[in-house]
Amino acid sequence: MTILYVVLGTIFGFVLSRSGAADYDQIQSMFLFRSFQLYGILGTAVVLTAAGLRIIKQRGRTALGRPLKIELKLLHRGNVAGGLLFGVGWSMAGMCPGPILVNIGEGKIYALAALAGALAGAALLGAVYPRLQKPFKLPPIG
Amino acid sequence: MPLILHGLPPIHWALAGAGIAAVTLTLLFVANRRLGISTSFEDLCSFALAAPYFQRPAVISGRPWRLPFAAGLVAGGFLSAVLGGGWSPTWALGMFDRVVALGPAGKLTWMFTGGLFIGFGTRLAGGCTSGHGVFGMSNFEWPSFLTTASFMAAGIVTTQLVYRVVFG
Repeated sequence: MTILYVVLGTIFGFVLSRSGAADYDQIQSMFLFRSFQLYGILGTAVVLTAAGLRIIKQRGRTALGRPLKIELKLLHRGNVAGGLLFGVGWSMAGMCPGPILVNIGEGKIYALAALAGALAGAALLGAVYPRLQKPFKLPPIG
Repeated sequence: MPLILHGLPPIHWALAGAGIAAVTLTLLFVANRRLGISTSFEDLCSFALAAPYFQRPAVISGRPWRLPFAAGLVAGGFLSAVLGGGWSPTWALGMFDRVVALGPAGKLTWMFTGGLFIGFGTRLAGGCTSGHGVFGMSNFEWPSFLTTASFMAAGIVTTQLVYRVVFG
């Protein structure tokens, strides 16, 4: 299975690289409403994935016959607060998490700083998580 | 508008969206995995940090698929550069170079700061553009619509501030 994950990641990374989803200028153009490209990508991805999910969920089993297991996202105050913070970072770096890795692969030197920042940010969240649990109604660690 | 990478023309958005959907659906249908990329930041943290947050089962059990997938993302970018005109390290950053125009040290500081917001924000929100934006919205999950609306709004405001107000 490891090979499958590497191959799927490679295809995903190639598409992000060549579509503009990992391109600083394309991200800014989306947020400046100067280009439809990224809205078109996300919209198409969501519509087609929703259609595919319907079919897979009706079947209820994976290709290998295992019962389908989809862990749902939890609703809490971190959705909005974290989403807002992430949006600031997405605009600044011109990359969301996947494209940080794609840009590193492309040879963009500054993307290494974005990755270092993202790891530091995740480490910080992990360190303060117990203190944020109550005010943000976050799920227990487990 | 060409890409920063070798000035290549971007592929059509419908084709790109179909590619993303195909990978997302294959991950689920073949491997029973829900697409999500920002958790790989926690995977990497879990090798160095002993806090219970990073050693929880959801992180440790997902590492064997998320880390190869993340490595694939790097390989995909590398392959794209090689096939698109050759791989070479670059500082090129398009309109940031023309408008904000910071040198290498400033650029690294800017990117590190952006990364901090990304790492902290995505993990507080429980996901990013992939787990919430693509999978969550496709699966009609309410927290994903909320999160996506939030990061889109903040991205729009931040870019408008940077390119139309501060450096406009």
